[in-house]
Amino acid sequence: MKEIVIQLLSAFAGGFGFALIFGMRRRYLFFASLGALLGWGVYLLTDSLLDSYFLPPLFAAAFAVTYAELMARVLKTPATLFVIPAIIPLVPGGSLFYTMSYAVRGDAEGARLSGIQTLESALAIAFGISLVLALRELRTKK
Amino acid sequence: MDLTKEQQSLLLDCMLEMGELLLDCGAEISRVEDTLNRIGKAYGANRTDVFVIPALLSITLNFPITEPVTETRRVRSNGNTDFYRLEKLNAISRRCVKEPMALDELRASLDHIAAGKKPFPTVLLGSIIGAGGFAVFFGGSLWDGLVAAVFAVGICLLQDQLGRTQLNTVAFNLLSSLLTGLGVGLVTALVPALHMDKILIGDIMLLIPGLAMTNAIRNMLVGDTISGATRLAETLVWAAALAGGTMVALAIVAAIG
Repeated sequence: MKEIVIQLLSAFAGGFGFALIFGMRRRYLFFASLGALLGWGVYLLTDSLLDSYFLPPLFAAAFAVTYAELMARVLKTPATLFVIPAIIPLVPGGSLFYTMSYAVRGDAEGARLSGIQTLESALAIAFGISLVLALRELRTKK
Repeated sequence: MDLTKEQQSLLLDCMLEMGELLLDCGAEISRVEDTLNRIGKAYGANRTDVFVIPALLSITLNFPITEPVTETRRVRSNGNTDFYRLEKLNAISRRCVKEPMALDELRASLDHIAAGKKPFPTVLLGSIIGAGGFAVFFGGSLWDGLVAAVFAVGICLLQDQLGRTQLNTVAFNLLSSLLTGLGVGLVTALVPALHMDKILIGDIMLLIPGLAMTNAIRNMLVGDTISGATRLAETLVWAAALAGGTMVALAIVAAIG
């Protein structure tokens, strides 16, 4: 439990940091960082329910876009502003690092496994985002 | 509204400037094309053809009576996201679509946006919080987070200094990941209680082109295949440079330790 709280809070901090780096306006900072926290919450939840590397980041990214669209409507700004901080914790920085670290130590099997995991997460994030955007576009006519 | 030949080429110039700025701020390809199409229409073009890939903008405007005008521009953007300018550009384009502003006014406001970069202290603070936060996020202790935050200052200063030179993103990633890897390796060798992997992951999050990569795949999924493919190839090379620098640093640290 303590671990989960630490992860959620540090996801919030990470999202906040990146929102600053990307030059986000002050009054959106809280909701952008909240998106990172909630997105990671969805990841943890789906990860505990499903036995898959692929689906949790997909659901979390799909949630992040939905949250961003909602926030964009409430605060009247482009949705992209909220998508990006929200998906930052999902970016597979950890598995990319371990891929390299295994490769340096000559552990080819370990490098292969975490390499595949890195690619899978990147694809899953992109699919999750595109899925929601496609559903939205279905509703808007030409 | 009827534009003279000079006004048409001024409009074209403004649109190229706007497209380049949008790309530079990290706008999606489809958004850039959509925005420019709307602006062309708002200023009375009966046909606007816009073609955008990350390295090139091409716009052709067809006005009634006069001959079509066309221009291309080579773009060198490094995929840096900048919400600050992105929002301002959005506001301008929305205004123009509603009620086209005078061309010299448009030109002036674009120049104003081009000159206004994100304030450096904000980026620095963001890097410190971001790297520290993610070191903890990936399982590091508070101390790991603090060390990652200290190295984030170094990366940020490096980014600022090298950003003024001609150094490309590949060379920058190689250099900064090598220096960060060596520095963190040295510190963790002196203080064994720290976790080298967690600290490095926190700092790597600042350099990783994860967003650019996700955007590239998104571009492909919405039909901008060429743009998506070139961006994806670019980000893979950036990631490889990052991995290369870190690997060399890890290997040196392992050889000494």
